[in-house]
Amino acid sequence: MAEPSVYLEKLAVFARMLRREGLTVGPQETADASQILISLGFQDRTQVKTALRTVFAKSREEQNAFDHVFDGFFLSEEAMRRQAQEQMQREAELEAARKQADEDLRIQGEPMHLREDLREVYATMPEEERQRLRDLMARYQGNIDRSPELYGNFIHSVFTRALLEQQMKMEDSGVGCQEADPELGLLYRDISQFKDTEIPRAISLIQGVARQINGELSAKRQQSGHTGQLDFRRTIRRGLETGGSFYRLHYKRKHQRRKKLVLLCDVSGSMMQFSEFALRFIQSLNQASDFSRTFLFSEDLFEADPFSLQNMDLFRTYVKDSGLYGKGTDLGTVLDKLCRLKPAALGPSATLLILSDTKTIDLPRAVNALLDAKRQAGRVLWMNPIPESKWPYVRSIQTVGTLCQMVPCSTLSALAAACRRLVQ
Amino acid sequence: MELEQLKKKLDEARYIYDDGLATTLFVALQLGRPLLIEGAAGVGKTEIAKVMAYALDRELVRLQCYEGLDESKALYEWNYQKQLLSIQVNMNSQDKDQLTRSLFSDGYLLERPLLKSIRAEKPVVLLIDEIDKADEEFEAFLLELLSEMQVSIPEIGTIHAKSIPFVVLTSNRARPLSEALRRRCAYLYIQYPDLDKELAILRAKLPHVDDRLAAQVAVAVQKLRASEAILKKPSIAETLDWASALDALGIRELTPDAMRQTAGFVLKNSEDLNAFDQPKEGHDCGGCGQCGAHHHG
Repeated sequence: MAEPSVYLEKLAVFARMLRREGLTVGPQETADASQILISLGFQDRTQVKTALRTVFAKSREEQNAFDHVFDGFFLSEEAMRRQAQEQMQREAELEAARKQADEDLRIQGEPMHLREDLREVYATMPEEERQRLRDLMARYQGNIDRSPELYGNFIHSVFTRALLEQQMKMEDSGVGCQEADPELGLLYRDISQFKDTEIPRAISLIQGVARQINGELSAKRQQSGHTGQLDFRRTIRRGLETGGSFYRLHYKRKHQRRKKLVLLCDVSGSMMQFSEFALRFIQSLNQASDFSRTFLFSEDLFEADPFSLQNMDLFRTYVKDSGLYGKGTDLGTVLDKLCRLKPAALGPSATLLILSDTKTIDLPRAVNALLDAKRQAGRVLWMNPIPESKWPYVRSIQTVGTLCQMVPCSTLSALAAACRRLVQ
Repeated sequence: MELEQLKKKLDEARYIYDDGLATTLFVALQLGRPLLIEGAAGVGKTEIAKVMAYALDRELVRLQCYEGLDESKALYEWNYQKQLLSIQVNMNSQDKDQLTRSLFSDGYLLERPLLKSIRAEKPVVLLIDEIDKADEEFEAFLLELLSEMQVSIPEIGTIHAKSIPFVVLTSNRARPLSEALRRRCAYLYIQYPDLDKELAILRAKLPHVDDRLAAQVAVAVQKLRASEAILKKPSIAETLDWASALDALGIRELTPDAMRQTAGFVLKNSEDLNAFDQPKEGHDCGGCGQCGAHHHG
């Protein structure tokens, strides 16, 4: 165990690291932490951790981030030695893999034109994946020798694609650091990856978060002020409590603008689970709208009966009965039909909320129809279940993203943030 | 107070705690910071304030928050009736200024919990319960009290604390609290207790209940909490109620029948009761409260 003064010096660096993780740590917290460490001593690591957590972390989410930083920062000496050894071993392995990658990623002795990050992906990907690419290269070696330009380009495009896919997979496996707390973990996990057994827990989480948002909105509504006109009736009534003197004046409240919400939910194949959760979430928000219409779609459009959306089992049966389930997505046709509905579903006071991953047949037609819908509706908001980190890889998202506001909703936490934006 | 002393006091109060909780309480006490406690309903947040009042040998002053709570209910209010009477009685008084001054003096001031806690001669434990139910305005108002230990009353001026209370704020996370309030507090999140702690609580609070029954109840409650099908997880208070009910009925063995008869004490909504009555076929033991009794009891 090092001298206490060494630990106190480290505390300032530790505070900076906490700040980098998003915790609001000011000089007061650092001073408190020093005071408490001097009082408690440094002998018991668990005790030090609890004491510092009490001072630095001010919510359950912050506690998770704190634990992560603390465990990485205040290592025991044994753990430090072990980590250093592992790190050296990892670096040696990586260096060897990079050399191997330089040899593998060549066409007719010339290095392939690949981005540096993709070369790094090749060096770190599993050996069986690398072998698969080497086998492919070996299979086409004869063709490359005969027609270097044609097959060189082909091999290059196959490699690029395989490496991009691998990069996406690696980014996915990086997600999940919040799993230390199972309940919070569910908030940050991809909705489409929920197991059936996790759905009830996810629903109760949604109810909790929706309650929080409703609470926030209710408080905001009360603060939204008054019209400036005196409410005589209430003022006189309340004045009776103080012997007829008008101790407090009451004013007429502002009228809330009526909001109309048109929901367009993609229920084709993989989108079903996300749409169920998103619909459930939006409907739990009292303030989302005064009036809403919900349409389900895949290749065709179908207006949903609000009662059928009340619970998950009913919703699934309803979607299957409607004939939409298991089909592809045709956004162009669907949006076109929505715009032509009589009486009109959209209008200047309506917010069109689309829950879809943007993958559709005939993208140009879908883009034209979306422009039409945008002209008719007051606001178009797109909730996308594909994680934001993958957007650059999907062409349809890039196209649609330029036409309307798109918010990532791959996790319950992101969905909650999107719903907050929707109702504000 | 040293950590060991605090632990001894908590033991005397027959409060079941772990080292983490004791350290957090000690840190809050040592730094003189308010303690913000969050956690699901019924995990024992309010109990901590009561136990601290006992451990520190202080009076407990409680402020229950609700929507619309304002300064007049939390801090002070003028006694209007008394003021009006005084005006009537002294209507013919010559010194009008003196009368006005006297109307806003201590004699006409009704102390509410916050004012009471800082004007007490001996320090108290101030419990601000369910702060998440109060409005954001009230939260902002609390900032002055929590950071400066003083309050401002327009007619009198600033009142500084005579003694510094140990403040405990609880929240069920019905809405997120402001960053400013959080920053001023030490923070504690309480989770449902594990099996050993739950059993220890049962034995401490209900010493007359048969040990075997208490163990069965604790195991069953743990299983109910772990079950995906149960949406409203049973709290510690419900565990205690359940054990008391079983004991009152003279039940010594937690059989499936006994569980069915008394399920209403531990599960508080119809969906959970239905899930409890109709376990799915082919279920695994971990997801079923009923298995708690016959497999593990």
